[in-house]
Amino acid sequence: MAHPVTQFQILSKDPDATARFCEALFGWRIDAGNPMGYRRIDTGSSEGIQGGIWPAPPQASAFVQLFIAVEDAAQKSAEAQELGAKLLIPPTRLPEGDEMAVLLDPQGMPFVLWRRAGSAAATSR
Amino acid sequence: MTGSFQRRLECEFEARRAANPRYSLRAFAVSLAADHSTLSQVLRGVRPVPASSIRRWGRRLGLSEEEVAAYIAAQHLRDEGERSRETELAHWSAEALAIIEQPEHWHVYQAAASGSFEGDSRSLAERAGVPIDAVNIALARLLRLGLVVTASDGRWRATGTPAAHPAEFRTLALARIRERQWRTP
Repeated sequence: MAHPVTQFQILSKDPDATARFCEALFGWRIDAGNPMGYRRIDTGSSEGIQGGIWPAPPQASAFVQLFIAVEDAAQKSAEAQELGAKLLIPPTRLPEGDEMAVLLDPQGMPFVLWRRAGSAAATSR
Repeated sequence: MTGSFQRRLECEFEARRAANPRYSLRAFAVSLAADHSTLSQVLRGVRPVPASSIRRWGRRLGLSEEEVAAYIAAQHLRDEGERSRETELAHWSAEALAIIEQPEHWHVYQAAASGSFEGDSRSLAERAGVPIDAVNIALARLLRLGLVVTASDGRWRATGTPAAHPAEFRTLALARIRERQWRTP
């Protein structure tokens, strides 16, 4: 399986302010109408990828994470750790069936392993 | 950045020795109007260079005031290891204070421990009377600390023997933070 970057996520100290800024500047549509209140970004274009906004923990500065598609978040997470990554959030199933794990790469950059609901590994469980 | 003026001195000494293989450390010290043993310790990295010496030796090396100021500023920066340790300490202190001060952690944990939580932060936030972002930050923290996990049916659960009341939960969470802190290299 290829592992494309499927989504970006802005970790913001003030998610509402970030949403307003992106709406005003880029015309992005931001919708938080889901169980986790996740602010999904629709850039309004078929080019590039879509994204989301999540609150940054108070001790962190604002940053952007990339979501990388995987078939099996647990397996890829283990492989990543063998290669020197550090696990921050273990594979976690989200309310709508997606699965994610958050890691730091060996250089300290956070990234997300992301399996969409309905993909092969999800339906085989 | 610590040692950058020391490296400048090393480069200068090496350049002089390259031009004159008989050029000695003692001659270098004389050219800087420096004490020979002090300069030797600086070059070996045994002692830092005080700002007053950077100014004096920098002038002798023909550095501009701006260069001298840059070396003095660099000397005051903490080294990478020290910065990293401070960042780690700040991180774990913030995690601990959040657990102590923000009751939404207990609300999320309690919901997960009861088996009724399916990641619906919105309804939990409404029940607890806190902003949804606060619930999501708490949720992410509890996941990072391994205090809650999700099962394959999408339900969240508390790990280990669940804490029965807020004080017990805080004790458990702070112990987990200490474990993680010790594990950090």
